[in-house]
Amino acid sequence: MGTDLIERYVTDLGSRLQGSRRQVRDLLTETRDSLSDATEAHLGRGLDEETAQRRAVEEFGSVREIAGEYQAELAVAYGARTLMWLALVLPVMHAAWEMGRMYFIGPWQDFGGPVPSWYLWIAKANDMTSGISAGVALVALVLGRVVARRVDARVLARIAGATALVSVLLVVLGNVAILTATWGVDPQRLVQSLPMSIASFVTWAVIIRLGLLARRALSCATIVG
Amino acid sequence: MKPDALRGHLDALLLATLDGRQLHGYAIIEALQQGSGGALDLPTGTVYPALRRLERAGHVVSDWSTVGGRKRRTYKLTQAGQRALNAERSAWREFTTVIDGVLGGDGKWAQT
Repeated sequence: MGTDLIERYVTDLGSRLQGSRRQVRDLLTETRDSLSDATEAHLGRGLDEETAQRRAVEEFGSVREIAGEYQAELAVAYGARTLMWLALVLPVMHAAWEMGRMYFIGPWQDFGGPVPSWYLWIAKANDMTSGISAGVALVALVLGRVVARRVDARVLARIAGATALVSVLLVVLGNVAILTATWGVDPQRLVQSLPMSIASFVTWAVIIRLGLLARRALSCATIVG
Repeated sequence: MKPDALRGHLDALLLATLDGRQLHGYAIIEALQQGSGGALDLPTGTVYPALRRLERAGHVVSDWSTVGGRKRRTYKLTQAGQRALNAERSAWREFTTVIDGVLGGDGKWAQT
């Protein structure tokens, strides 16, 4: 069976979608299957192939309309996946880093002299940012599931993307603050332990990756027509 | 029936279509059209995002399986989906009873 019209429709639809590659592929596979099934049904009713395909494509809906609805769902899924990563990775990364710090460096108070109270305040605030960000992501995930059918997917996708981005920015802010503060109090401390320097590098690599995921989640949500 | 009038009820229609069976996307579309005697006039492509929405809400689960020699994504109701369907049916009965009492009566409202 020739699939020119169907393939053209699926290709056009695919070119308008942004999201997880696997989810886009799944949606397009379902679309192609559905159009092929509809074509077969029309052929069974006596239509010629080209007319059957055209009828199947017309019944499916205009590419513009369907792409908008598909993209909204893809954006919600991408946002939810990003929030899930934040909820899982941030606490694990923070716990691992703290354990490493206690083992290789020791408590923040052991600076060989009095530590300004503002420094301890920044250290505590930074300790909290991962937990707060992960908590916010988790709450957003749960609420998103509860209101899944009541709130428009376009709105949910934007909220998920924005929440993910703000959560990552909060972690970035905490890390930049503690690095700057440590530089101001005792710059040597930033480079005194090779394992922790490597751990810091890995931490930043993960934060940047999470930031890129969050930015893409918001991008997927904002291209929805 | 106009697409706009149907959209608000699409989730409930899909839940009802999947009641007690596991179907792939086009089989759901066919069942919807057959169940309505062909009166449902909705772009068939809108069924797939609606199924994703129901899956996101935990009301249906999907799985890739081989149906008729082809690999298909099939959907079935979860327990939460069954409860949601029961609630939708109750709400619909209540709604139609109330509206029918006014619109479907013998004109007593016009006489008062």
